[in-house]
Amino acid sequence: MARETVSLADILADARVWKLTDASAAPPHPVWSTGRSALDARLPGGGWPTASLIEVLIADNGLGEVQLFLPALAACQRGAGGEAPWLIFIAPPHEPYAPALAQQGIDLGHFLVVRPASATEALWAAEQALSAGVCAAVFLWLQGSDDRWLRRLQLAAEAGGALGVLFRPERHRFEFSPAGLRLSMTRGERQARVELLKVRGGRPGFIDLDLGPS
Amino acid sequence: MTSRTLWYAAVFPGLAAAALYRCARQAQRYTAFVSIEAPDALLLEIQGSLRLFGTLERLQACIDAGWEELGVMAHGASAPSTLAALWLARAGERARIEHPAALAGRLAGLPIGCTAWDADRLQTLRSFGVAHIGELLRLPRAGIARRLGPAALLDLDIALAKAPAPRRAFVPRERFRERCDFETEIDAAAALEQALAAPLERCARFLRERRAGVQALALTLRHRAAPPTRLRAGLASITGEHRRLRDVLAQRLLRLELAAPVRALELLSAPLQALPADSLGLFGGFGDQGAGEGAAQLVERLRARLGERAVYGVSSIAEHRPERAWRRVQELRLCRTAASAPASAPGTDDALLQRPVWLLAEPVPWSARASPAPPREGWVLEQGPERIESGWWDGEGVARDYYVARRAHGARLWVFQERRSRRWYLHGVFA
Repeated sequence: MARETVSLADILADARVWKLTDASAAPPHPVWSTGRSALDARLPGGGWPTASLIEVLIADNGLGEVQLFLPALAACQRGAGGEAPWLIFIAPPHEPYAPALAQQGIDLGHFLVVRPASATEALWAAEQALSAGVCAAVFLWLQGSDDRWLRRLQLAAEAGGALGVLFRPERHRFEFSPAGLRLSMTRGERQARVELLKVRGGRPGFIDLDLGPS
Repeated sequence: MTSRTLWYAAVFPGLAAAALYRCARQAQRYTAFVSIEAPDALLLEIQGSLRLFGTLERLQACIDAGWEELGVMAHGASAPSTLAALWLARAGERARIEHPAALAGRLAGLPIGCTAWDADRLQTLRSFGVAHIGELLRLPRAGIARRLGPAALLDLDIALAKAPAPRRAFVPRERFRERCDFETEIDAAAALEQALAAPLERCARFLRERRAGVQALALTLRHRAAPPTRLRAGLASITGEHRRLRDVLAQRLLRLELAAPVRALELLSAPLQALPADSLGLFGGFGDQGAGEGAAQLVERLRARLGERAVYGVSSIAEHRPERAWRRVQELRLCRTAASAPASAPGTDDALLQRPVWLLAEPVPWSARASPAPPREGWVLEQGPERIESGWWDGEGVARDYYVARRAHGARLWVFQERRSRRWYLHGVFA
């Protein structure tokens, strides 16, 4: 009678075993502080993960969804030695207002708007921008959904070391997404509520933030 | 100077401008950087070339032999600064100085006339009894500045390699042009790309030989019956790199729907332009990819496929009317050298209320039932008013009170009330 003895080492060596320590270990890519300590505390590594895709679900424009990322981006552009990295908005719902971005410390000399004619072209442009290796962040506004494309964006973000932020309507909440971090934004009575739907290496939950003009 | 440079100057007494141009073309064989020093001299940066030729002696002999080949008379001299090389060459000294420390000693014996300063200045110097550079260098600096002007002092500093002297690179006034006729007509865009490969390679070589780049390529496709198809591929920054030229044309062809089979093609470059300094690498050859190159390449790839106007930057303008406080920027500054503009922040006036991330193309009436009395149901005016009253002088004046409006469980908006009509408008969104 053969006794099945399996050592702990064997189990750990099995690729199917997911080790909690892996997830909480320091990520290989830099993490950018969100500029809000309450939010940093909820994110693994203490900030926005770079070289990855973040998906933000919004019911409406104007919840502070861009504001959420601007402090980190301004800090990133300021802190870069030599050539500042680029920030690119692809298919934004309205015209990005230069004085507002300058007010937030964004370096307009390294800011670009791309207006593709279709969703496919927008995805293609996002893939190009993310993988180019010259962007701090690429923001993409998208209506539809396409699993395969989103996976390509995730890979492009990893390759280029950029932060990809994808804004989609709230109705995509229950669809599968390859993004490592998924947020849903709503507004409460006064504050914005950021719900962490999926956090690779962290725990879901929600947090209330004061965004927008103070 | 931060990095070491070595210059070779050639003076061609009495040479005509056209002949000097030919000499400059010849000089491009030896270095990536040639500058024409009017009226009759050339400067060549040769630090990078030194490695190829081994010794300065051999390099200088090669360059001098080149002038003989062209049948022109030249005096050549090398020195670690632009002006020292020029002055030595004008004095007719076949000097080869490699170390800045040796400059003062070698320049001391030159007559002051080799500076090519104006006659007044030289006369002033002679009246002091100054006939040579050495005597000039012994004068107190303040005195030189006062009597000859600060420009003379700067010249001396440049000659002694204590101050940098930017020069403009010589670029031939030419374009690349090539026409290919096909024996069998081409009817697929993919085949066109193949047919373009050879002319493009020659175009890149043409640019490399001239140490120059272009910012656009024009492609004309000729058909048997239909009028020719003309394409233009813009590059985001000046380049001569084969890979980038090929990329941008390939993207452009991707969008092309051929109206008719192609019988011949013609490739024409925009006028040649000097390459940005950082793409020259060590003045030896072309750098593979600078930091600015990556961004330029991204922009031109996006533009080639999405169209020129689909990719743009924005800038702030110091103007009170919100809709005029910004503009689109099509001419992007993508070179590292040009990008060092300070982070200007015209919008960071603390007195202003925060501006919204999105601005609507035009203010829209806030509500159909424009009841003039807020707070309307569900809305709170969080901040304001910020009065903006401006532009009365150009007939497009505005007089508005801006507010930040917020709805429970909803968006934050930038709204204003027009003071004359008392109507409310929505102008921005705090995303």
